[in-house]
Amino acid sequence: MKTYLSNEFARRDPLLLVEAQAKGRYQQAKRVFTSLTPEQVVDEVKNAGLRGRGGAWFPTGIKWSFMPKELKGPSYLVINADEGEPGTFKDRQIMEKDPHLLLEGIMIGSFAIRAQTAFLYIRGEYLTAHDALATAIAELEAAGILGDSAFGSGRPMRIVLHRGAGAYICGEETALLNSLEGRRGEPRPKPPFPAVWGAFGRPTSVNNVETLANVPAILERGAAWFKTMGTAQAPGHLLFGVSGAVERPGCYELPLGTTARELVEKHAGGVKGGKKMRAFIPGGASTGFLPPDRLDVPMDPESLRKEGTMLGTGGIIVIPEGIEIVDAARVFSRFFRHETCGQCSPCREGSAWSDQVIGRFQNGEGRAEDFALLEDIMRGSKQRTICVFPEAFAGPLGSAIKHFRSELTQVSAQRAVGRAATEGTALHG
Amino acid sequence: MSGSGEAEPKVLPEGILAELRALTAHYPQKRGALLPILNRLQEWRGHLAPVDMRLAGELTGVAPADVFSVVTFYTMYRQRPAGRFPLGVCRNIACWINGSEQIVATVKDELGIAPGETTADGRFSLEEVECLGSCGTGPCLEIDSRYFENLTPDKVRALLARLSRADGDRSAAILAAQREERA
Ligand SMILES: Cc1cc2nc3c(=O)[nH]c(=O)nc-3n(C[C@H](O)[C@H](O)[C@H](O)COP(=O)(O)O)c2cc1C
Ligand code: SF4
Ligand code: FES
Repeated sequence: MKTYLSNEFARRDPLLLVEAQAKGRYQQAKRVFTSLTPEQVVDEVKNAGLRGRGGAWFPTGIKWSFMPKELKGPSYLVINADEGEPGTFKDRQIMEKDPHLLLEGIMIGSFAIRAQTAFLYIRGEYLTAHDALATAIAELEAAGILGDSAFGSGRPMRIVLHRGAGAYICGEETALLNSLEGRRGEPRPKPPFPAVWGAFGRPTSVNNVETLANVPAILERGAAWFKTMGTAQAPGHLLFGVSGAVERPGCYELPLGTTARELVEKHAGGVKGGKKMRAFIPGGASTGFLPPDRLDVPMDPESLRKEGTMLGTGGIIVIPEGIEIVDAARVFSRFFRHETCGQCSPCREGSAWSDQVIGRFQNGEGRAEDFALLEDIMRGSKQRTICVFPEAFAGPLGSAIKHFRSELTQVSAQRAVGRAATEGTALHG
Repeated sequence: MSGSGEAEPKVLPEGILAELRALTAHYPQKRGALLPILNRLQEWRGHLAPVDMRLAGELTGVAPADVFSVVTFYTMYRQRPAGRFPLGVCRNIACWINGSEQIVATVKDELGIAPGETTADGRFSLEEVECLGSCGTGPCLEIDSRYFENLTPDKVRALLARLSRADGDRSAAILAAQREERA
C-alpha cells in the first residue's frame, strides 16, 4: 500500500529542506500561492471530504469556509500540536521526522483562510519536535519561502512556533487560544466560535497537525484520489497508534475503516507474549474500553459511534489479561481528575468524585449502589459546562460499567477478602 | 514583592534578556510572549523565582498577580528548585502496562528518592508525570523535556550512573546521555 503521511518515519533525523524539495515538496504550496485562489483550495479540501484528525472529526473544508472572506485586519491559522490524549503519539512522529510535511500543509491552510500568520502551538514536553520545526522554519526563511513574499507571490507568510508548558486541557481549541495569548489554559464559552473571535480576538481556524499533513497530498493528487481511500464518510489514511501490550507497538498508516483486529494482530504482532486480550481502547483514553469480541469493528468515526464510543485520535491501547479493568480505569480517573481545569464545578467535582468511587472498587470497597452513583455523577458532570471534558472522563468509566460490570464487582469482592486477610494478620499477628 | 527571589545571586545575562525582548515582537499583543519568556527563564534558572515572574510581567505588560496565576496553572513550571536532573516518569496507561512502576522502583533503589523528592546532594529529583506521547516507546521518562524511551531497569541504572558523573552544562549533559542511550 502506498503511504503519503509516514514515508519518512523510519528516519533517525528530520528530513531537511533540500532533501524534501528533491522529493517534490513545496511544489503544491508554490502552485497555491502563485496560481490558485483561496476558494479553489477550500473547495478541493471540501470535495476531498477531509475531516479533522484532532478527535472531533469535523470537516476541514467546511471549517475553513466559516472564515470571513472580507477582512479588515489579520486572521490566523493556529495549529494544534498539543497532543496529550493518552495512547496518542502520531503528531509527534510527523514533527520529529518530517517537519516539512506539516509546514507545507500549514502554508496551504493559511492561504486557504487568507491568514498571513500561523501560530504553531506545540506542547512544552515536545522539545525535540520543537527543535526540528525551528530548524525547518529557519530553512524556509533562509530560502525566502517564508517571509515578505512567499514564493515571490507578493504575499507575506510567517509561522510562529510557540511552546506550551504542560496541561492536557490546552488541547481543547479555545483553551489553546487562551494559552497562546499568555493566559491560563481554560476553555472559553462558545459562542463566539474561533472563526469569529479566535487568537488575539481575530478570526481563527484551529487545525490539528495530522489534518494539515494530509493537505499537500490532496492538492497534488486531487479530491477524487483522496476519496478512493478510507470510507465514504471518512476518506483518507489515518496514523493509527497501537500501544500497550503488543509485540510491535507503533504508528501505522492505514485507510480509515481498517479493523482494530488487523491493526493489533497483523501490524502490531498481536498481544505481547502470546497472552490473551482483556480489553482494548479504540482511540485514546477518552474513548474507553471495548471487549475483545469487538475487534472486528472498522476504525472509522461512524462504525465506532455505533459501538457507543468514538474513533477519537485512533490510538489503540491493548490491555492484556493479568491487568484488571478497574486498575486501568483508575489510571484514567486519576488522570482526568488531575487535568480538569476546574472552571465548572460539575466537572471539577464530578471528576474528583468518580475517581474516589473507582478507587473504592480498586480497594475492595465497591458497593452495588456505586454503579448507579457513577452513572449519576457522569450525567450531572455534563450539565452546563464550558467544554466537553466531562464526556472525555465519562468514556472509560461508562464503558467499564457497560462491558465489565461483573468483573468490577468480582475484583472488588476478591480484594475485600484479601484486605480482610491482611488486616486480620495485622491484628492478630 | 519581598522574599527569597530578591536574594537570588544569579544575574540574568544580557544576551538572554535581549532574547526575551525579541520574543514579544512575534505576537500582536506582547502578552502572547508570556509562556515563551517563562519557559526561557526556567530553562536558565531551573525554576521560576519571584524576580523571574516579575521580569516576565514587565516585559509583557501583565500584572504580577496575573503572572503568578498563569504560572500555577501549568504543570511544567516550578517555583522551587528541583534536582539538577529532574526525572519525570510517565505513569499513564501504556507505560504503566509496560512496567513504569518498575522504573520508579529502580530509581528509588538506586537513589533512595520517591516521587516528589530530591536527593540530598541536589543532583536528582523524581516525579511522576502524565502521558508524554511516547506510548509506543514506553516506559518513558523525560529530563527537562528530553525523552528516554523503551526503558528497562538496566537502562535506568546506566542513565543514572552516567548523569552522576556529568558536570558542566546541564542541557549538554542531558543531550549527551540521550545520544548515548539511543546509540
Ligand atoms: C479535552 C480536549 C482535549 C483535546 N486535545 C487535543 C489535542 O491534544 N490535539 C488536537 O489536535 N485536538 C485536541 N482536541 C480537539 C480540539 O478541540 C479541536 O477540535 C481540534 O484541534 C481541531 O482540529 P481538527 O479539526 O484538525 O481536528 C481536544 C479536545 C478536548 C475537548
Ligand atoms: S468542563 Fe471541565 S475542563 Fe471544560 S472548562 Fe469546565 S471545568 Fe474546565
Ligand atoms: S502512556 Fe506513557 S507516554 Fe503515553
